[in-house]
Amino acid sequence: MDPIKHITYNTHVLLRLPSNNIKLCELRPNSDISLGKFGAFKTNDIIGYPFGTTFEIHYDNALEETIPGPQDAAATKNSKNKFKIPVGTLSVLESRLTANGGTNGAATGLGSEEETTPNPELQLIGNSESNKNLINVGNSIQKLSMAEIELLKKQTATGEEIINKMIEAHGSFHQKTVFSQEKYLKRKKQKFAKFFTVEYLSSSGLLQYLLDKGDTVRAMDMSEESIGMILSLGNIKSNGTYLCVDETGGLLVYALLERMFGGENTSNAVGKVIVVHENEHANLDLLKFSNYSEDFIQNHVKTVSILDYFEPPVLAEVQDAFTPLSDDQLKLMKSNKKGAYYRRLKWYNSQIDIIDWATKQHYDGLVVASTLHLSSLIPRLGERVHGSRPIVCYSQFKETVLELSHTLYSDLRFLAPTIMETRCRPFQTIRGRLHPLMTMRGGGGYVMWCHKVIPVLPSDVRTPAPLVGEPLDESEAKKQKIE
Amino acid sequence: MRQFSEYKDVIQAGDLVLIWISRDNIKPVTIATGATFNTRYGSFPHDDMIGKPFGSQIAVRTRGSNKFGFVHVLQPTAELWTLSLPHRTQIVYTPDSSYIMQRMQCSPHSRVIEAGTGSGSFSHAFARTAGYVFSYEFHKMRYEQARQEFEEHDLLRDGNLAITHRDVCQDGFSIKKGDTTTFFDHEQFSGQQELAQVDANVVFLDLPAPWDAIPHLDKVISQDSKVSLCCFSPCIEQVDKTLEVLEKKGWTEVEMVEIQGRQYESRRQMVRRLDDALQRLRDVKERKQVGVERRKRMFNKLISDEEETFEERPETPKTQYNPFGKGSRVKEGDLNFQWKEVSKVEAEVKSHTSYLTFASKIVRKTRDEKLAAKAFAEVQDVVPESALPSKREKKRLLKS
Repeated sequence: MDPIKHITYNTHVLLRLPSNNIKLCELRPNSDISLGKFGAFKTNDIIGYPFGTTFEIHYDNALEETIPGPQDAAATKNSKNKFKIPVGTLSVLESRLTANGGTNGAATGLGSEEETTPNPELQLIGNSESNKNLINVGNSIQKLSMAEIELLKKQTATGEEIINKMIEAHGSFHQKTVFSQEKYLKRKKQKFAKFFTVEYLSSSGLLQYLLDKGDTVRAMDMSEESIGMILSLGNIKSNGTYLCVDETGGLLVYALLERMFGGENTSNAVGKVIVVHENEHANLDLLKFSNYSEDFIQNHVKTVSILDYFEPPVLAEVQDAFTPLSDDQLKLMKSNKKGAYYRRLKWYNSQIDIIDWATKQHYDGLVVASTLHLSSLIPRLGERVHGSRPIVCYSQFKETVLELSHTLYSDLRFLAPTIMETRCRPFQTIRGRLHPLMTMRGGGGYVMWCHKVIPVLPSDVRTPAPLVGEPLDESEAKKQKIE
Repeated sequence: MRQFSEYKDVIQAGDLVLIWISRDNIKPVTIATGATFNTRYGSFPHDDMIGKPFGSQIAVRTRGSNKFGFVHVLQPTAELWTLSLPHRTQIVYTPDSSYIMQRMQCSPHSRVIEAGTGSGSFSHAFARTAGYVFSYEFHKMRYEQARQEFEEHDLLRDGNLAITHRDVCQDGFSIKKGDTTTFFDHEQFSGQQELAQVDANVVFLDLPAPWDAIPHLDKVISQDSKVSLCCFSPCIEQVDKTLEVLEKKGWTEVEMVEIQGRQYESRRQMVRRLDDALQRLRDVKERKQVGVERRKRMFNKLISDEEETFEERPETPKTQYNPFGKGSRVKEGDLNFQWKEVSKVEAEVKSHTSYLTFASKIVRKTRDEKLAAKAFAEVQDVVPESALPSKREKKRLLKS
């Protein structure tokens, strides 16, 4: 089984629920996973299927095994069985649209010969040409009471059964138009259906998970479009060494890793990400969800604080403090001293690494998502970026990248700073009824893109004719650049 | 050294470079000893570039006029190439291509089908990122041009891209030995193999009639994993027809979106305060008053029959108060004035590129029961509650 293509044990995956919300979970062997009101299932039942598969939860011979629902964790002590969510069996669905017995393919409007053919479920009920007879009387139109619906749910009736009963008990369902009936069905299905799709944990998926959770601020209001732009404009490849500031708690670093290595722990690519952080320790918390091994992350993600980066240890001092021993010397060392020696050696190596990153390494790109003052940060971080390599800086706000672009514009080491904004507009994708969605997420941020360049020294300018006079000064060069 | 795929340090003869003259004037040039790059800003000998690091600014003084001209020499990347490239067809720009790659999870793990190749702009981006790219072009001339370009850019030598001359709508995507393709040129495929294992998990169709190509995909897409598809069509009618075929052919998670990319110019606007404007008008009025009073005196003299009524016109003093530099050409950002940093959308916006129709398909939604059984056996002793500690827990355990 390929853990990138197939659902595998001990990996983190995303589960897309009927409500289209995303749940992130780890697939522990022999365990059960509860989806709250959408049911529960055995992890083993999904192992080995390709990512993207949709499963439906069934309760044919239910009530045998149960696991506590997450919302009732506290209550379980007293009433052990009362709030348990039964674990169902699974079947594979053709798609999310065919949930509940595959009857509503037409609800999407796709592919049907006559585009107005209503959902077969709905044809039996009858509908209205228009909604002129539909009077909004609020909740009383539904004859089933809340308690009755709850009871249906407890009896673990399928979503389909509940919805059918609700339609039966709906006073004016036949007065709705087909379109409106379909919307009603869809809404109810999102509430009562019991299916889920298992998705690979992509960087876009991780972002979606954060947004669903309401963690917009943590994600710095980033959008999938902006992540795509950052990775493309940054020319991110598996063989580059990138300098990175990531204030999203690891989302950006994860996106870099996915683009560079595609989730492959066995990748032998040499790419590295050097993460510069402003606190004592880097916050790359989200990487705990990644399916890269700890070794892999340690080899490809390095962290250094801004203080260490801008004021690196002095080589001579480090070497004064510690001298690595030769193998022969080591052999002679007593074992109780060896532990201490190796701890010092680790410290020594980390100091040498920091000196390398801060004073020797030339970076193949600078990728920043930070709320630090960009105009003071980027010119300094840009110093060690190799000529011709891109610098990409994300900000939630246009004003901050605007100020940055003005700063970089007057600095000859940065070529053509550009502010870009990319927005994706999703459409209702139904044949014959294509239109942009009525609402979409706002925000998504801005990206500044430029290239590091090496300005010519005035003394290096070739003079074809023996010209005497005016020395070439920087201000002249600047003028030219602006024009 | 490879032109695109490797990071180069120093400019050498034989390198393909992009010479940046201005934002909308970037020229691809192959560096050759003794050659010269001519622009209206001056002539730049290649020898001045050789040996310098990539990204270097190259400057010359033009003969006679004592002017200073310069260019920057960059190593090509897919995105810069998109800006500089010779258009053979409408091209896919970075806002679209970056979104498509991100949404379809492009990585070294991806095996990409791209049809048609067109100007090859997207091929460069795919080739940078994906494990393998199968590009198809039905136009013979464009195929030849693209093949040659991929050759010169070392994309073929990188070994993860093949271009095939093919009308995929008619003849599908399978690549056999003997086809007009670069696939079998690569040494690793010489001899033994007769049919290319395409096994694509990312499909990008930039075709006038994608619905004719979609039915052919089943043969060449991955059979046991999720495949992502994107159709790039400018017209909504094309989208509609595509949707019909996608549904018939079992593609799901269908969604059409549109990408709007905007680019902003950084500008400065002069801060012109009300008080300054008032003060300037007061100043004008005051100076006007001088003339008014002179005329008044002359009038009074005339009335009272004085002999000499004419008064010498006083020299109008130059404007004393000119806070906004009126009458002189002020350059944006002039340090003698106060400026507010502002942004402005570029003068011409790409208001519509194309509709992107995404879909996905899993051909076999089954598992290999043998492999699954093996996996179960491996973990049969794992008790779920005590199940494997999370990474964080592991760390904590290690520390204690």
